[in-house]
Amino acid sequence: MIELSITGTNAITFPHLEVWDWRIVIYLFLGGLSAGMLVMCSIANLRIPKQPVEELAQCVRAPFIAFIILSVGAQFIILDLGAPFNLYWGYLTFQPLSLMSWGTWGVPAVLFANALYILAVIPNEQRHRLRFPFLIKISEKLVPKMRPIAKLNFAMGIFLGIYTGVLLSSFAAIPLWNNATLSILFLVSALSSGAAMIVIIAKKAEIKFLFTKIDIWLIVAELVVIALFFYGLYTSTAPYKRAIEPFFSLTSEHFIFTIALISIFLLLPLALRIKLGELKEFEDGFHGEFTRAQIFRMNFAAILVLTGTLILRAAIVYAGQLTKLSFY
Amino acid sequence: MPRYVMVIDVERCIGCMACVIACKKENGVADGYFRTRVVEEVRGEFPYLRMEQRSELCNHCEIAPCIDACPTRASHRAKDGTVQIEKKKCIGCKACILACPYDARYSTPEGVADKCSFCEHRLKEGKSPACVETCLGHSRIFGDLDDPNSEVSQLIKKYDASVRLEFAGTRPRVFYINKKFAGGL
Repeated sequence: MIELSITGTNAITFPHLEVWDWRIVIYLFLGGLSAGMLVMCSIANLRIPKQPVEELAQCVRAPFIAFIILSVGAQFIILDLGAPFNLYWGYLTFQPLSLMSWGTWGVPAVLFANALYILAVIPNEQRHRLRFPFLIKISEKLVPKMRPIAKLNFAMGIFLGIYTGVLLSSFAAIPLWNNATLSILFLVSALSSGAAMIVIIAKKAEIKFLFTKIDIWLIVAELVVIALFFYGLYTSTAPYKRAIEPFFSLTSEHFIFTIALISIFLLLPLALRIKLGELKEFEDGFHGEFTRAQIFRMNFAAILVLTGTLILRAAIVYAGQLTKLSFY
Repeated sequence: MPRYVMVIDVERCIGCMACVIACKKENGVADGYFRTRVVEEVRGEFPYLRMEQRSELCNHCEIAPCIDACPTRASHRAKDGTVQIEKKKCIGCKACILACPYDARYSTPEGVADKCSFCEHRLKEGKSPACVETCLGHSRIFGDLDDPNSEVSQLIKKYDASVRLEFAGTRPRVFYINKKFAGGL
């Protein structure tokens, strides 16, 4: 039996850490989503034949939407800062061991690459919408370079997807997060949510079908990595074993995390089941246009994936802060 | 430069909390916030109970995860080896609070990180930290570990003092002596 009474505690650290809240959850979700979208639309655009190079981008709206999503996501982390007016100090130095420093520099770098991508894939007939003549000129120059820019954005998307996980896993004081599998889990779920989002926004039936197929593999991978994540912690030392307790507990304090885990394991396989149904329906190849019912089903499965991704991030962020290396 | 460490002899702590108050007063710590705390820990089954009063504060680790986590170098190692925060550089990202295995940091009402500084301003004047100065039972002892004749060096050597969460590998500079209460850290 151990009984503790502590004089002089700070509410932010006791009885458990209350440091990062829903704003960080939204940041990680939107960051991962835009990362996944950049990777997926780069895959779509790199699939097209190399010649001729101009005006062949298949995925033209995704980079623009990814840009908006990441810009909004970045606002949430600024909203979380206690002293946002000191943020410029972050741009006067680079600390390679600080994941926050990587984010400070990395997110604007991704936004810059993303902006180039938008300009490179914008179709001829839409270019006048750029309004400013210098943007139109840059866009005309970037169109022939669409492929290298797509490759750059693929790499940036992978970086951003992994970053959202490494940001958490770098904290050795938090056993639930301090696990290399977490960065892989966040990357896979970011890619999966990116594929799901492309399914929702794509107009071309071929693109919707392609990313439905890709998402099937990503959902399977995600479910396997989630299981490995928990197994790795279960087989580790006492603080790490204790760290997964919230997910397998029926006490009032932790029940929400058990519900979150059950939801993830209901939503993702359900999405998988729907997607496999679509695959079977078109196994002899896809011809013509989708019906409204088919499009609804595809979008519904994609929304399930996005919801699962958001729940996963929220559960990991909140449950992580309940766990400590010490027993109090 | 000296290598400042604090030794806490838990058997001499009477739980008066004078250190907690002296720290708040000396450093102008805001209402509801603390840079140091006293943990009263009771272990065992009745009637075989043992109690320990243990002061806890920033460990000024030699391998400090809070410094690594800081994106602006607001958290840094001072010349005397202590871990300090340059408030004007702190963006309030709270990464250092999450990185500390000892829950020694908190966020001030102004939104920046704060923690025990070993009373840096007092050290510059050749004084001990306020909590050490005020400690009635001489439970908190402060000094230079590099000086083999200092009280802290002698105590650490004599009692084989331990540190909190040694397995975390942070090499803390706050040592604890408790001959009767093994495994309490």
